[in-house]
Amino acid sequence: MAATGPVSGFSGADKPEYADYSRCVHCGLCLNHCPTYRLWGQEADSPRGRIRQMQLVDEGRLELGEGFVTHIDRCLDCRACETACPSGVEYGKLVEVARAQIEQHYQRSLASRVARDFVYRWLLPHPRRIAAAARVLRVYQRTGLAAFARGTGILKLLGLQDRERLLPKIDTDFFFGDLGRTFPARGPRRARVAFFAGCVAQVTFSELNRATIRVLQANGGEVVVPAGQTCCGALPAHAGVRDVARDLARANFEAFPAIDFDAIVTNAAGCGSTLKEYMHLFPAADPAHEQAAQFTIKIRDVSEFLADLGLTAPLREVPLRVTYQDSCHLAHGQKIREAPRKLIRAVPGVELIEMKLADQCCGSAGVYNVTETEASLELLALKMDSARGTKAQAIVTANPGCILQLRAGAAIHDTGQEVLHVVELLDRALQRA
Amino acid sequence: MNVSNAMVLSRLAELAGPSHVTNDPAEIATYQIDGKSPAAVVRPASSEEVAEIVKFAAAEKLAIVPTGARTKLGIGMPPRQFDLALDMTRMDRIVAYDPGDLTLSVEPGIPLHKIAGTLAEHRQFLPLAVPFMDRATAGGTIASGVDSPLRQIYGTARDFVLGMEFITGEGIAAKSGGRVVKNVAGYDMHKLMIGALGTLGVITKVNFRTFPLPRAARTCVATFRGPTAACEFRHGIARSALRPQSVEILAAGAGCDPLLGRRAAVSFEDDRWSVVVSFAGDEPVLDRTRRELQGLARGMNQNSLESFTELRANLAENVNRYIADLPAAILEYSPAAAIFKVSALPMDMAGLAADIHGIEVPWLVMMRGLGVTYLALLPPDRSEGSLRVLKQECARIFSLSERAPWGRSVLLWCPSELKREINVWGAPSGDFAQMQKLKSVFDPSGILSPGRFMGGL
Amino acid sequence: MPMDSRLLHDLKKLLGPRGVLHEPEDLMLYEYDGSVEVARPDCVVFPRATAEVVEIVRLASRHKVPLVGRGTGTGLSGGAIARHGGIITSFARMNRIVEIDAENQRATVQPGVVNSDLSVAVEHLGLHFAPDPSSQKACTIGGNVSENSGGPHTLAYGVTVNHVLSLEIVLPSGELMRLGSPALDPPGYDLTGLFVGSEGTFGLVTEITVKLTRNPEAVKTLLAVFDSVDDATETVAEITARGITPAACEMLDGWTIRAVEDYVHAGFPLDCAAILLIEVDGLREVAEAEAKDVADVCALHHAREVRVARDARERDLLWKGRKNAFGAAGRLAPSYYTQDGVIPRTKLPATLRGIGEISKKYGLQIGNVFHAGDGNLHPIILFDERNEQQFRDTIRAGDEIIEFCIQMGGSITGEHGVGMEKDRLMPLLFSEADLDLMRRVRDVFNPTGMLNPGKILPISKGCGEIYVRPRPALAPPSA
Repeated sequence: MAATGPVSGFSGADKPEYADYSRCVHCGLCLNHCPTYRLWGQEADSPRGRIRQMQLVDEGRLELGEGFVTHIDRCLDCRACETACPSGVEYGKLVEVARAQIEQHYQRSLASRVARDFVYRWLLPHPRRIAAAARVLRVYQRTGLAAFARGTGILKLLGLQDRERLLPKIDTDFFFGDLGRTFPARGPRRARVAFFAGCVAQVTFSELNRATIRVLQANGGEVVVPAGQTCCGALPAHAGVRDVARDLARANFEAFPAIDFDAIVTNAAGCGSTLKEYMHLFPAADPAHEQAAQFTIKIRDVSEFLADLGLTAPLREVPLRVTYQDSCHLAHGQKIREAPRKLIRAVPGVELIEMKLADQCCGSAGVYNVTETEASLELLALKMDSARGTKAQAIVTANPGCILQLRAGAAIHDTGQEVLHVVELLDRALQRA
Repeated sequence: MNVSNAMVLSRLAELAGPSHVTNDPAEIATYQIDGKSPAAVVRPASSEEVAEIVKFAAAEKLAIVPTGARTKLGIGMPPRQFDLALDMTRMDRIVAYDPGDLTLSVEPGIPLHKIAGTLAEHRQFLPLAVPFMDRATAGGTIASGVDSPLRQIYGTARDFVLGMEFITGEGIAAKSGGRVVKNVAGYDMHKLMIGALGTLGVITKVNFRTFPLPRAARTCVATFRGPTAACEFRHGIARSALRPQSVEILAAGAGCDPLLGRRAAVSFEDDRWSVVVSFAGDEPVLDRTRRELQGLARGMNQNSLESFTELRANLAENVNRYIADLPAAILEYSPAAAIFKVSALPMDMAGLAADIHGIEVPWLVMMRGLGVTYLALLPPDRSEGSLRVLKQECARIFSLSERAPWGRSVLLWCPSELKREINVWGAPSGDFAQMQKLKSVFDPSGILSPGRFMGGL
Repeated sequence: MPMDSRLLHDLKKLLGPRGVLHEPEDLMLYEYDGSVEVARPDCVVFPRATAEVVEIVRLASRHKVPLVGRGTGTGLSGGAIARHGGIITSFARMNRIVEIDAENQRATVQPGVVNSDLSVAVEHLGLHFAPDPSSQKACTIGGNVSENSGGPHTLAYGVTVNHVLSLEIVLPSGELMRLGSPALDPPGYDLTGLFVGSEGTFGLVTEITVKLTRNPEAVKTLLAVFDSVDDATETVAEITARGITPAACEMLDGWTIRAVEDYVHAGFPLDCAAILLIEVDGLREVAEAEAKDVADVCALHHAREVRVARDARERDLLWKGRKNAFGAAGRLAPSYYTQDGVIPRTKLPATLRGIGEISKKYGLQIGNVFHAGDGNLHPIILFDERNEQQFRDTIRAGDEIIEFCIQMGGSITGEHGVGMEKDRLMPLLFSEADLDLMRRVRDVFNPTGMLNPGKILPISKGCGEIYVRPRPALAPPSA
């Protein structure tokens, strides 16, 4: 008999490495923090179980097949498990390379491949295509076609009515026009920052972007919006489409000469988390790894940046009872919990009431609400239940994806709650000043 | 005894030494249980001797009842058969005491007061303020399962017995648990021995966790009109941050000897319900506790608070002993008394108290704050008529106590005559089948205190 | 051994397709728990209700298949591993808090309720569930009952058995039975007390009634830093001698401190020999006075620094350092093995020296974390499971530590349980007669041995010649 042992189901670059997954001592402390384990109670859908599956594939004891793909796909990549893990397992890194392996070695259905290629390869890397697609969608939303579709019950028939609510409302005035501009500080300049505008956010959260710039300006920030910037690559990276993520990263290195700025600021926790971890995309030997290291030093979430800088702009009273939903990639990905809360509390008249399990994922998780709609909606229902329990008038969060999801939740569950980004709350207080 | 007395006595003499076996009628009479005397008494001095005696008894089908100071033999049903009293009082040593580890190992025959004396030298104690504590032995206290007012804060034997050695009904020496305060090795068989009235094994060693003696203690008594306010006061304490050592509600119906009340440092007047709260700690804690207790008492319905007083130091020091010993006092004053132990949820205590109020026979009640109630019925005499009434009232209390969810009663002490008609344990519980099977594991030939326990075990 | 197809069919009919796992790729995820043990079940089922548990037990019984209960699988002695295959019953979906009775300070829960979830649920009532094992944010109360779990605060508040009043259990016959009562002192033998800690060998638990404990008014958490381990252990002894029973008294040695600090950043000094984490609680006046006393004792025994946590956040941080000590070790080696010996607390210095010698003898790094107040030691032995020899040595070193504990008058396990890890060590503590009686007690509940076979009681008679188990779950990646 041949003496060769089983062959690893992983090959090529970007695979879960022994040094990373063996840090897991299977203590199980992550399980109750994992939204999908809480939903289904199955080891396979827990962080510990997923890591074990990676190990089993690596050891050649488990096929990189449908079962593995299903459980890895179902992961929200919310990284709540990293917060819970005493052993410091970098789960996000592991799941992303596991997905890269799936991307390389697993044949998905044709429909799935077409959809994934469309989103990750055709659309996201290309701002013009995003803008074009957004215009089409805008026509749907504004011409009454949407109302028609809703009214006729077609969406309901197709089981899409909840999914349709998750769709972002397309802006009238895209943010793309602001690329390349510089916004002066109001009052003495306290910092010079580059603003990272995002991709889809430029057609759906243009106003949030502008509010972010206003708040930065008001607090002494000179804000540059570099023209050559592109998508951060979070969505492709989370999906295992790492070649695209790398190309996007390289483009951003060029667009943001780190040396020119005190910080590169983003208002999207998901983007920030990816931007801060660009090093993971490149092996240490790659010169881009060092570039990434230089780049990531400057990345700041807007709430992190403002909390550190300190608010100097006078704030008027905003009488509002709010609760704060931790965006996963801020709380778990970037370990930032206090900064947004500090900013919220800084607004006179605002009362912050904590909800139960504030740091559990709302089910948005990038494109999760589209790819795993049912689970996403279940998580959303739990989230809205907690939010309702606080009797808050508004839910404040720190990531556009979460805002969309929570707005849909407020509508579906009829909680009547407004959903705001932290900087939108600050902006509101400014405007009255 | 189903073998010749002489043969048994000579064999026992071989096993325990001739001077430690007797069948002297005067002496064996002092071992009687509900009028039933053993054929002989044997006093072993070691675990090995106990094992040999039990083995012999098992072979000869002799029924054994282990005894200590014989203060609580009245608890339980009379034995179906009673051949040998196994007097454990010669096994009265402290086997090990490590004050630094807060652990103590004793033989079962050691009197509690002897333990208390040794522990006090190191400012430690066992929180066993139990009936007859001036005479009772450690083994008897554990086997009878009596509790203490101090359970409010220290729990019961279940919580601080760390392990045991015992001899099974086959004469096999076995143990479980250990001598360390934390231990999950093996099945905790010693938990079964607590309160089993010697039906599963003869305890030969008990390992305790000891506790530091509190630096100072004080006691307040709040007296209310009617049980509702007294129970409300108890609930108020439970909801507060206070951590008293004991909370005892005491009351008595008309005809109860007022001397009994005086022994418990309260006055038994009609419809007066006294809540005795003792608490320990340093001066600032004591002051604050007193202040807040007074506030709580006054916060009740103003009209219901009769008085709030603090006991004198010498009285306060011993109040838990007095209260714990009330059953002993009751039996002394009124040998025909029937004393129930009623378990209920704390919130159901007031309802129970209200029901008690309607009892025709003179009564005395002592409710531990955690939900254990001792109810004594005190017939004026032992006449046939009185006993008939007593029996009726007892039946009423069994059914009364089971009205509350989870309520249960055990008739701890009563005149022997009643035991012919009443099973003092009430109806067997739903898990009784498992208890029967356990009994047959520990005592396959059924020689250990046969028939004394629930359901004829 | 593949499952009987009829049994599988019946289970699926009972629980639906989503309630049964039987494919190897799923079963491989139930062959481990938090320990180093491993064994694969033949099937995993997910009941949602007591009636389903009853049916599962009946089916398993009829088909003579072993049955093992499982909560979250955080146990440290292999309690929830199907040592001889069979069906694992996961209680992950029976996780409802049935009733909270604040006035009577009781709660009734299904076994799958996570320990800390109960405390969170009653927080607004000023109550909590006292047992607090380090895994409390994940482990289930059903698991706590099975293992009689402890935790740092059991020094003052007791272990799980002290807080369990009543259980609803399913016997192998399928009979549903209530043990104990939510009211105190139900007449009869204390079957609840016997059942708690029976590690799933008596029955499956379907409902648990526990006591809830009122939150202390004040809590003071002190961190005392020592340059010598002996000073730290003497401090513990003196605290006891002064009649103070802290709510918790934990000790970490220098090596562990450095491992933890790197992760938690609790502000533990990196150059010390030991720290004590001492908590006192109760009324404000009590906590303050005892904190002062404890600080004095620490100073008297040459603590170079005594720090009192200023607020809840700082307190949480200190505790995080303690509760994550094991996991933090995971950062430093591919695997670690946590021991769970108990000694009389006065034997701490001698035992520490003994462990140091064992560490030297095998050339293995051993970190020490203790519940110093109750003498419960958790030496953490680091190893690389790819190194077969090192794994064997690790197990040998663990066993030697346990033997040392027994020599000191202690026990083989303080809170992790015997499970399939220490069954072979039981003869070091118990005689054949003791074990035989325990076996017969088990047979009262579980006469055919179908419930969690291969746990607690050693199979062979006679004192165990220590053998080395098969290697742990982690296999080296293929070369």
